[in-house]
Amino acid sequence: MVAIYYVVFVNTLYFSILALSFRNIWTIFRRSHYSKYNTLSGSELVPSVSLLVPAYNEELTIIENVNCLMTLNYPTYEVIVVNDGSSDATLNILLKEYRLKPVPNTKIRGKIACQKIRGIYHNPEFPDLYVIDKENGGKADSLNAGINLSHYPLISSIDADSLLEKDALIRMARMYMENPEETVAIGGDVRIANGCKIENGAVQDVSLPRKIWPMFQSIEYLKAFLGGRIGWSHMNGLIIVSGAFGMFRKDAVIAVGGYRDGYPGEDMNIIIKLHRYMLENKLKYRIAFCPEAVCWTQAPDSYRILSSQRKRWGRGNLKNMIENRGMLFNPKYKVMGMVTMPYNVLFEALNPYFRITGLLALAGYVLLDMTQWPILVLFGLLNFVSGYLLSVGALVLEEIAFKRYNKLSDLVKMLVYSALKFVGYHQLGVLWRLQGHVQFMQNNNSWGTMTRQSWSEDEKKTSEAA
Amino acid sequence: MPNTATLQREAAVNVYRSVEQGLKETGAETCGLMFIHCAGNSQPEQQVRTHLEQTSGTAFQVWKDGATQAIAVLLPGLSLDEVHYEGLRIKHELQETVPGADPQITLASFPEGERPSKATIQHMAESSKLIDSSEIHIYTLDNTADEPERILIVDNDPTVREFLQLRLKMQGYETYEAVDGLAALELIEKVTPDLVLTELNLYGIDGLPFIHHIQNLEMEQPPKIVVLTEQRVEQTISQCFRSGVDDYMTKPFSPVELDARIRRCLH
Repeated sequence: MVAIYYVVFVNTLYFSILALSFRNIWTIFRRSHYSKYNTLSGSELVPSVSLLVPAYNEELTIIENVNCLMTLNYPTYEVIVVNDGSSDATLNILLKEYRLKPVPNTKIRGKIACQKIRGIYHNPEFPDLYVIDKENGGKADSLNAGINLSHYPLISSIDADSLLEKDALIRMARMYMENPEETVAIGGDVRIANGCKIENGAVQDVSLPRKIWPMFQSIEYLKAFLGGRIGWSHMNGLIIVSGAFGMFRKDAVIAVGGYRDGYPGEDMNIIIKLHRYMLENKLKYRIAFCPEAVCWTQAPDSYRILSSQRKRWGRGNLKNMIENRGMLFNPKYKVMGMVTMPYNVLFEALNPYFRITGLLALAGYVLLDMTQWPILVLFGLLNFVSGYLLSVGALVLEEIAFKRYNKLSDLVKMLVYSALKFVGYHQLGVLWRLQGHVQFMQNNNSWGTMTRQSWSEDEKKTSEAA
Repeated sequence: MPNTATLQREAAVNVYRSVEQGLKETGAETCGLMFIHCAGNSQPEQQVRTHLEQTSGTAFQVWKDGATQAIAVLLPGLSLDEVHYEGLRIKHELQETVPGADPQITLASFPEGERPSKATIQHMAESSKLIDSSEIHIYTLDNTADEPERILIVDNDPTVREFLQLRLKMQGYETYEAVDGLAALELIEKVTPDLVLTELNLYGIDGLPFIHHIQNLEMEQPPKIVVLTEQRVEQTISQCFRSGVDDYMTKPFSPVELDARIRRCLH
């Protein structure tokens, strides 16, 4: 019976979060359509931002991405690429492309510990670009090195395999400027770029991925970001700002000791630390989500890479939960302690166990003739319908406020795949999470493999296919 | 009368050079020049020559211009009214002898010391193709002085581009437009504008790198650069001036002020 209660409860919660998202979508729609971002993007009054780009073996995509980052609509910002001891030609490609020269006697306002920095490179012709070359130390360590060099009060972390929309940063900054005292972090919307046409470092033509794995992820991301995070941020209970694109107040990040090194899930970790620090010091704060600031990212398109990514997420989530178990059901931590953390532990971390035991129990009931199989089918159907409604809800949100996918065929495809997700893909997700937990128990801390594709190669392929 | 008519079927440039040469070599005080362009593909140069041989008393020369498909006629010693009279006669003759020819004629007479440049001759040849066939077009040297300056507008906002284009066209400029930096660079090499009016926020390549690129293009006369942008950060403005832009204006802008600044840059 526990399983049934669990399912009912989890669905109620999902739907309330979705309802919160819906409540806010009109505001977001008006904000994204009627705000004058153009005027703002040239104003002296907008706070300056340092973009931190950790790069580890990114030789295929790095130039395209740096080019894209250097042409954002933003008044004052700098791009700091941190080469995390890459074993390929990432650094050399950067030095050659931008004719960078080593900067002698650089002052590193070192506040956070990080691996040894081998050199800093700069070219006065590109005054807003810096490249740090350092020993390998992981993503968190690279971000810390970037923070040490950064000149501006806001920092933004961006994955080297992601492309920002031209207005993304200014939209985030606008949100920050509404409440600069309290806002410590803002997350952006991450979307899957597989299948889109990319030209000159910008997404020119939006369409859905052609391959099956990225397609499922597209729907998953849409649901997580639009259906979930808008709602969570409304009650200030956001537990994660995607590592692919987020903006932080530098003083707050330094106050909590920078990014934590040595295990996956550093993006979730920094947010939990910020919540913790603010609540323990009784400071008013807000961690916001800005769905109109869009970042396009390459999704893994093979089973092997996807599963290793998901196992890593599972591992990171579990580790973060165990480390911060003190916050669980602790009224001192308000929404975070009473809602977000329990939700995350029960429905994200422990989800596989509930699902598996629930399934076994149901099977057992039927076998022992304690219940009839039609009830089992009904139960399964109910579960499916509610899950499907959640996905469709996210789709409706997307169509109300953003309308990035404007081909009818794409919409139909999304509806079909939202249903298909429950046959196989969903179960695989549970399995990967479980495997992640096993890895955690075995103390396996590897990142797994993540191979990159060049943007242009991807483009070539799509044009050939078309 | 000795006839020195030569027929050249060479590249168009050589025709203009020959015309220029012919103008220089003639010792006469004034020298008439006429371009005849007929509808259809066959140009009746033979008729023109025969007609001139029979009626004209001067040492004329006739060429065929491969580029514009016009017939160039050099008439040394003829003043403007005489050339015009000759034009009328040729037109009449062609209308009589070549059915459907519909000749379009541009003509001029250049006094000694005011011989036209090759570019002017070329412009004259091109104009013969464009004019109305009902009248004979008298080409004056003032036309060349008024040759419109070319302005390239670079902005990704179609409304801004349209507004600027209308406004600058009304001021008598020849305008081109580009959506982003890369398209602009391509277009600059093609149309060699006198001035580039650009936004700093562009796709592909923007801001200072874009300006550096324009300045590093291999051109005889690099275009002037006027920045018209949303960017109002002082540091950016000063960086732009340091890298050699000719003027900087921020949006929203006063069209009258923009006109004045563009005029000042071009003259």
